[in-house]
Amino acid sequence: MTRLPLLSLLAVSLCAYAAAAQSTDPAKPAPGNPAGSPSDTRETVPGVPAPGQANVPDRAFLRAAALGGRAEVQFGKLAETKAASEAVQNFARRMIHDHSAANDRLSSLGAHVNVALPPDQLDPDHKAIRARLDSESGANFDKEYVNTQIADHQATAQLFEYEIGSGQDAQLKAFASDELPVIFEHLQMARALSATLAAETMASASRSPN
Amino acid sequence: MRSHSPAVSCLFGFLVCAVGAFAASLPPDGSYRPLPAAPFDEVKGDDEAQKPQVMQRQRHLLEERYDLSDRAVPNVLMSGGRKTVQGGVRVKLPSGVTWDSLAKLSPDEIRERGVLPEGFFPLPHVKQATGGQVFPNEEIDEIQRQEQRNLRRFDVDFDLPDHFTPEFPAPIFLTTHPELGDVSRGQLVTIKNFYELFVGILTPVQLEGMRLLLTPFPQEEFNQTEDRKSADQSLGVTCLDCHANFHTNGAFHQTPDVRPQAARFRLDTVSLRGLFNQQIHGSKRSLRSVEDFSQFEQRTAYFNGDQMSAQRKGVHLPNRFDQVPMMAQMQNIIDFPPAPKLDPTGHLDPMKATPQELAGEQLFMGKGRCSSCHVPETAFMDNNMHDLQLERFYRIGQTRNGLVILPDGPIKTLTLRGIKDSPPYLHDGRLLTLADTVEFFNLVLGLKLSQPEKENLVAYLLTL
Ligand code: HEC
Ligand code: HEC
Repeated sequence: MTRLPLLSLLAVSLCAYAAAAQSTDPAKPAPGNPAGSPSDTRETVPGVPAPGQANVPDRAFLRAAALGGRAEVQFGKLAETKAASEAVQNFARRMIHDHSAANDRLSSLGAHVNVALPPDQLDPDHKAIRARLDSESGANFDKEYVNTQIADHQATAQLFEYEIGSGQDAQLKAFASDELPVIFEHLQMARALSATLAAETMASASRSPN
Repeated sequence: MRSHSPAVSCLFGFLVCAVGAFAASLPPDGSYRPLPAAPFDEVKGDDEAQKPQVMQRQRHLLEERYDLSDRAVPNVLMSGGRKTVQGGVRVKLPSGVTWDSLAKLSPDEIRERGVLPEGFFPLPHVKQATGGQVFPNEEIDEIQRQEQRNLRRFDVDFDLPDHFTPEFPAPIFLTTHPELGDVSRGQLVTIKNFYELFVGILTPVQLEGMRLLLTPFPQEEFNQTEDRKSADQSLGVTCLDCHANFHTNGAFHQTPDVRPQAARFRLDTVSLRGLFNQQIHGSKRSLRSVEDFSQFEQRTAYFNGDQMSAQRKGVHLPNRFDQVPMMAQMQNIIDFPPAPKLDPTGHLDPMKATPQELAGEQLFMGKGRCSSCHVPETAFMDNNMHDLQLERFYRIGQTRNGLVILPDGPIKTLTLRGIKDSPPYLHDGRLLTLADTVEFFNLVLGLKLSQPEKENLVAYLLTL
């Protein structure tokens, strides 16, 4: 066993936390597969990673979730003013609200696991989406926004599931578990919106003379 | 092991979506099994340290969901006459509702109020993040005794109490010898005893098929590499370690068909009885022949859906034109247990059945609509998959002991022949008794059955 035991003093101060991380409550984050914890993981007690000990999936999750969450807010702000349909505007407001709250929690978790979040700008993937959103207007903008929201929330749901299964830090996993049902709610809303927009396009096409 | 400052950015490629959008793609170990990040003895040490907590979490979950007490149905035994059948509804109700008040609510109301009984939710693996095959203690002990082969894991134990597993060892009925009845002689068939038990009863082809089904090969959790969960370098696992005596011992695993890991639902081993009548195999994969299933099972380390990882641990590639058909032919002569009250069309013989059983059959064909999928004439199956859409009743994406609760999607109609012999029920074993299954379908199909009607249905199911 080469995993470094924490200084006992520190361990005492972390007692309350360790109790939570070791919870036998099935609603709390479940222990990960220790095969996914690198050797230099510090442990409060054997088998329980010390708070803030992130493994590779934790880091990958943190980065992708931070980039995605910020893009959601940015696109939401754009859509709030630019969307033609009121339903899309409302959806955008909901995205701003929910993702802002999640982003705040994620920032504090970044500090907790001592991982610097990427700089506050769009990554190339989301930049490409932004460029397309900028170039569209009216009903086409609405469609583009809603469809990219569907794709983004699909990927996000899988990402959060990935963290729940492969992550190591209990707080990050708890964050992913708490947010996942909300992400699915967003996905369902976006899918419903997309269907509504498509139906409206059909209806207006059949109304037009040719 | 210290160089974990990964170029995280390289984990994010591009995913071309149907809509033409780009979104960050997921890390590769979302699909592929990662190599262990620490040496074996460290992982084992951590696993052993976690084990008490892991078992307690699952025990809490089970106790929250179910009444786990040992209450057998009077005067009913499984087909080998060696084990009682557990009775009564075991799924616990949330406070403030009864089964009748629940049945009056619409799916939307049940979802909004959050009152779907916990026991109806998908059942997590005992350690979801690790997953893999877990054997009941009876099987582990008997294989140890006969073969000195170790099926015990150091990270988890089997989670359900013994009285909710199938009879062990199960009786074996052969289509080729109905006149003999159970040919197991009360023993667990293994590589050590199969020859003396079956020479003179089986053909050479069947004997060779059986030998292959009883030969251990390396598996995801039982192999010689550091990525294993047995203390010693394992000799591997045989097909019949789960399908004990061609039935099931309740061993469980996770579906190979879903990723990432947190979303992989549990799979309860199915019986191989009556396989000869089935057109589709696996609750989700819908493989079209026993040959395909047998071959594939070996290729991907029994259920991990990961040919890469299996390759590393040593795969067995049975010859398709020689060995695979023999394995299939052996499996294809395993019969259902006798059901003395059923006539040749699968209907109750009124001379033999009780009034209650006959009333149950009426419900099965009528108000209960069971026979629209469980067709009596075709061994209570329809060789189709159906989406029961349980997610109408709950909010998706919640986590239960590491399992993300998601819609099951279409699942194969499981046979009901010999059903009293194969608890727990549904593909993941989330229901412990037949009375639970009746409450489940009462809600899912919106049947609004009365209490006496539910009891009649259970009485009928026990005759099958
Ligand atoms: C870890 C336990 C386990 C082992 C080992 C195992 N099986 Fe299975 N088997 C299962 C489970 C669980 C299912 C149900 C799969 C599903 O629902 O998708 C199954 C399903 C099957 C089916 C399909 C039955 C049906 O009703 O559709 C066949 C055939 C089968 N197994 C044959 C084999 C063979 C052959 C081997 C050895 C190569 C084997 N099994 C090894 C657990 C096991
Ligand atoms: C729409 C088709 C359909 C109808 C109708 C239906 N079932 Fe099923 N039944 C299924 C499917 C599909 C499964 C497998 C579900 C799963 O594993 O998640 C199943 C599983 C079962 C099982 C568990 C089998 C096992 O081996 O674990 C029982 C028992 C059962 N059904 C009884 C009934 C009864 C009783 C009724 C009528 C009240 C009924 N079913 C109506 C499709 C149906």
